[in-house]
Amino acid sequence: MASKSIDTTLNAVPFHANIPGPKSAKAIKPIVAGKLISKAKRPLLVVGSDILRNQSILEKAIKIGEKGIPIAATGDSLKGFLEYSKNLKVQIKYINLNALVSYLGDREWKGFDNKGNYDLIIFLANKYYYASQLMSLLKNFSKVKTISIDRYYYPNADMSFGNLKEEDFLQALDEMIDAIKG
Amino acid sequence: MISKKYIDKGTFSIEGLENIQINIGEIFEKDDWDEPVGPTPEPEIADLREWDYKLLDRYKPIYSPSCDMCCYCTYGKCDLTGNKEGACGIDLETHQARQSLFTCLTGASAHTAHARHLLNNFIERYGKDHPIDIGSSNVEAPLTRLIVGIRPKVIGDFIPVLDYIEEQITQMLATIHIGQEGSVNDFESKTLHAGMLDLIGMEVSDIVQMSCLGFPKSVENTPFAEIGMGVIDSNKPVILCIGHNVAAVTYIIDYMEEQELFDKIELAGICCTAHDMTRYDARAKIIGSMASQLRYIRSGIPDVIVVDEQCVRADVLKEAKKLRIPVIATNEKIMYGLPNRSLDDVNEILEDIVKGDDGAFILDYDKVGELVPKLAMKMHPIRRDMGYSAIPSKEEFKDLIESCVLCGNCQKACPTLLDVPRAMELAKDGDLTLFEELRGKCIGCGRCEFECPKDIPILNVIEKASMENIIKEKGLVRIGRGQMSDPEIREEGRNIVLGVTPGVIAIIGCPNYPEGSRDVYEVAEEMLQRGYIIVTSGCNALDLGLYKDKEGKTLYERYGSRFVKGNFINTGPCVSNAHIAGAAVKIANIFAKRNLRGNWEEIADYILNRVGAVGLAWGGYAQKAYSIGTGCNRLGVPVVVGPHGVKYRRSYIGRPYKKEEWEVYDARSGNLEPIECAPEHLFIAAETKAELMPLLAKLCIRPNDTHLGRSIKLTHYIELSEKYIGTLPDDWHTFIRTEGDLPLAKKETLLKILEHQHGWKIDWTKKKIIEGPIRKLDASWQPTNVERLCKVLER
Repeated sequence: MASKSIDTTLNAVPFHANIPGPKSAKAIKPIVAGKLISKAKRPLLVVGSDILRNQSILEKAIKIGEKGIPIAATGDSLKGFLEYSKNLKVQIKYINLNALVSYLGDREWKGFDNKGNYDLIIFLANKYYYASQLMSLLKNFSKVKTISIDRYYYPNADMSFGNLKEEDFLQALDEMIDAIKG
Repeated sequence: MISKKYIDKGTFSIEGLENIQINIGEIFEKDDWDEPVGPTPEPEIADLREWDYKLLDRYKPIYSPSCDMCCYCTYGKCDLTGNKEGACGIDLETHQARQSLFTCLTGASAHTAHARHLLNNFIERYGKDHPIDIGSSNVEAPLTRLIVGIRPKVIGDFIPVLDYIEEQITQMLATIHIGQEGSVNDFESKTLHAGMLDLIGMEVSDIVQMSCLGFPKSVENTPFAEIGMGVIDSNKPVILCIGHNVAAVTYIIDYMEEQELFDKIELAGICCTAHDMTRYDARAKIIGSMASQLRYIRSGIPDVIVVDEQCVRADVLKEAKKLRIPVIATNEKIMYGLPNRSLDDVNEILEDIVKGDDGAFILDYDKVGELVPKLAMKMHPIRRDMGYSAIPSKEEFKDLIESCVLCGNCQKACPTLLDVPRAMELAKDGDLTLFEELRGKCIGCGRCEFECPKDIPILNVIEKASMENIIKEKGLVRIGRGQMSDPEIREEGRNIVLGVTPGVIAIIGCPNYPEGSRDVYEVAEEMLQRGYIIVTSGCNALDLGLYKDKEGKTLYERYGSRFVKGNFINTGPCVSNAHIAGAAVKIANIFAKRNLRGNWEEIADYILNRVGAVGLAWGGYAQKAYSIGTGCNRLGVPVVVGPHGVKYRRSYIGRPYKKEEWEVYDARSGNLEPIECAPEHLFIAAETKAELMPLLAKLCIRPNDTHLGRSIKLTHYIELSEKYIGTLPDDWHTFIRTEGDLPLAKKETLLKILEHQHGWKIDWTKKKIIEGPIRKLDASWQPTNVERLCKVLER
């Protein structure tokens, strides 16, 4: 019997008074996130340095990457991927997140592969206050859409999971990964 | 202004005028400085706009708003989400640029007001003609010379300098009003202008106090001062001074000296006042950075608290009252609602406070000097007998831990999301190790306590759990030395410009660190070992004195303090940051013989292209850190902030993929030529210490590096990237102009990568690069971003 689906739309409350204004992220379920990622033409997974604190999440990020989603590894998260395996079958690049959001807001940027800017940015395992602040640039000054699939609710994203317990979070990621068409 | 009109001192007559009295107010002596005046003495808002636009075209200002609304006027609130316009016509991006200017002006005002307060005080005490004396430097005030175009000799010469800054700040503050500026870049140009003014405000502050108060004068090997929560003998009366402005505290020190009280009373400071107390008298002690305020007050150890200005917690009086610690406010910027007792008799004030008054606001510093030590001695036995302390007893601690319901609100409220609930959970089982770890990361703000449904004083719990470590917290700081001297610049300027010294890293700013202060210690240590010059100031300089190696030695004890490769220099308090910027200016002047006088653009252009210096505000918190950083940016010095720094909401990010933005003129020919992205960014945040390390090395690369210098800089960039990110940086090859630029130890490997991965042509018989780099190295090349500086145009 399949386990009950995690409702990631509950507890969609910003952390420590991080309330940007009238527009806050729509809380979404894992399966919706998975479908949106599948539909995107140029998705990009942004993985922050918090990935180094939890190998289970690192493994989920690799699974997403194996579905063909390129990964932007910010902070020192790349080291975690490289130490996990020398033979990763994912497209992954290090980049500074402050610089990346600037480039994402520039239509002339052609992306890591020189094929054009991205249309959907998926945030995972980021330093909360840092990524949340930088997401506000994408929210207000870019055409890209953003989804946070992190453990916490990110009001500056277009869509986000709510605040989750760790075990629910890992299950939600699995559900989402299953919904991504490779 | 001094530089514009002169009249000789002496008598004179005017023929043909009768029954007319001519009053001449201020007389300025004719300046004997024969350096030609450059194009921008006392630049006004628009005078350096072209330079700013050059920077802003390459380093695009980007904004990450904290709030998508505008609440400035009665048209609003306006929702600007998605860069919409509000009722006044301003869009979110421009509103953010306005916010950036406001932040910078706030910082510049704080330093300038500090300078004005000190100058007024010293003029009253020592007279306008008190000579400027900052040690063995002919270029005594590089920023004042550069920006204002004067060469000050006595402290009174700074009066028109501050007049100029204050006038400019007022003009710029006016542009924040509704219905003024509507351009992002022009707001940013003003922000850069405000940052530049901030540099002079700081320079004036520190030069006048160095000149009047007998501080160390630009020398190495200044004495050590003790630092740490454990350095105070709490059996003695304790005076705690908090803030940035040492003027009043010097009277306390003088009185203690006169009355021979130094062995009877402990005098300690927090934040930049502590720096300057030790510069005035090395017997003063330092508790720590501004993050230690709440902790130390709650320890109950201080018997009197003296506050002056800047970075002082707004709740000092409230917290002190709970523990019966009187507060003496000594500066109009912080009065806390205390009664003004400036005109009252010292013994009357003393009596009233001992009887129960909360404290006093006193502007007569003679009275402050006498009152505070007397008050400490009176209050100490009273407070000791009552056992005042907010730190819980063993039993109370246990009860507090047990009362925690692990709701997690504290963690959500914590600026750095510290896992206090987990620490509570472990402490319930008697394990305090996580609390001890958290203390090293906690910034001491106390925000967690307001969210606790059980009213647990979480900060006090952390302190109690860490008591063993607190008692042992003892370190040493080399007392702030002020400027880098002219002889040092002569000795080291060449190495920095050629790149043989890989860079100068200025570790400055506040203690809002993402993972505790140990990170800045580790950054400093590794970069010192690699030969970078580390210059530090403010709270970072204090925190860096708290960590020791296995032999129990701090960085200050282990590294030399001369401004040369691999040395570690504490300039002093926040205002001494001016000397760090001033060092870059001095390199252009003393080493490269560029004129300073009113010549900002040329000097900044020189620094941007040649001086491998980078600022690091890893714990940047205050508006002042922003204005200091922005001033450095206008001078061509990039700045890196920690992850909290994105809350400044504006970065200056270079775009390597836009080749047209990476061109400079060769001053010899006037031709535009492509360059590598150096420095790549002007104001950028790093997410972690590991990401920071290679970024610092990269931002020290300059177009003018010699091949040896470039090779050294790239060695560090590549090694740090491999060590901390786990791989070669993607862009290392873009910095190669010739095979001589390649790090020696990896030359062959890197040549192979250039050939196979980047398609470069290599002559393997000679191990030479035949084709690939964006430009060739030309030893006599003279890069400039300023077309008018091209020699071909001069001709």
